Amino acid sequence: MAAAGQPALSQALDRMWNRFLPEIEERIAILETAAAEFAALTLSTEQCEAATSAAHKLAGVLGIFGLARGTDLARELENLYSRPNGPEPAIGARLASLAAELRTMIESRR
Amino acid sequence: MAHKILIIDDEEDIREVAALSLETVAGWDVVMANSGAQGLARAIEYQPDAILLDVMMPGMDGPTTFRELRKNPATARIPVLLLTAKVQSSDQRRFADLGVEAVLFKPFDPLTLSTQIASVLGWN
Repeated sequence: MAAAGQPALSQALDRMWNRFLPEIEERIAILETAAAEFAALTLSTEQCEAATSAAHKLAGVLGIFGLARGTDLARELENLYSRPNGPEPAIGARLASLAAELRTMIESRR
Repeated sequence: MAHKILIIDDEEDIREVAALSLETVAGWDVVMANSGAQGLARAIEYQPDAILLDVMMPGMDGPTTFRELRKNPATARIPVLLLTAKVQSSDQRRFADLGVEAVLFKPFDPLTLSTQIASVLGWN
């Protein structure tokens, strides 16, 4: 194998983070919208599916950039949104707080 | 000679980071495809040493793409490693039962991804 340059890889990953940050923020915005719609009892099936997909993608990518906690939060959201009948009414506040924590985490990584 | 890897994933960020990791850490040559259909074509054209295949993709998903790769004599013997963000054990069993070389999980560690692949394929 070629010599593994950890500093070079870290720098390249930072550049990639900045490149893909808009996409990551877009996924978080989908989760924030879904949480708000859920609280307002207006979450549609399409929005629920979009939230499931956004959470799934975030779960897969955040840990790659060193945000293991972000992967855990996104995975919890994916599980909540992907239940057969959507999230249970009692966890509305949890949906919002998970999305908010993700947002804070992303902003602190900048 | 550097190993040649085909990465098939619809998510650009995952694709690009995996490619960066394999190129930077291991010095392998990477070819990318953003869908199962494109992946099948690239596998035939480039004859990679191994394929890293995402499970959840719109259109042709990973398992379907894998079956198509196995049906085609030109790609039937190329080792395939599935890449998934699904962590439930039922999913893991289902994927392993397909007959792939290994199931790798997202998020992967960019520093050790190539070591994982090399270990599975006996390239160490």
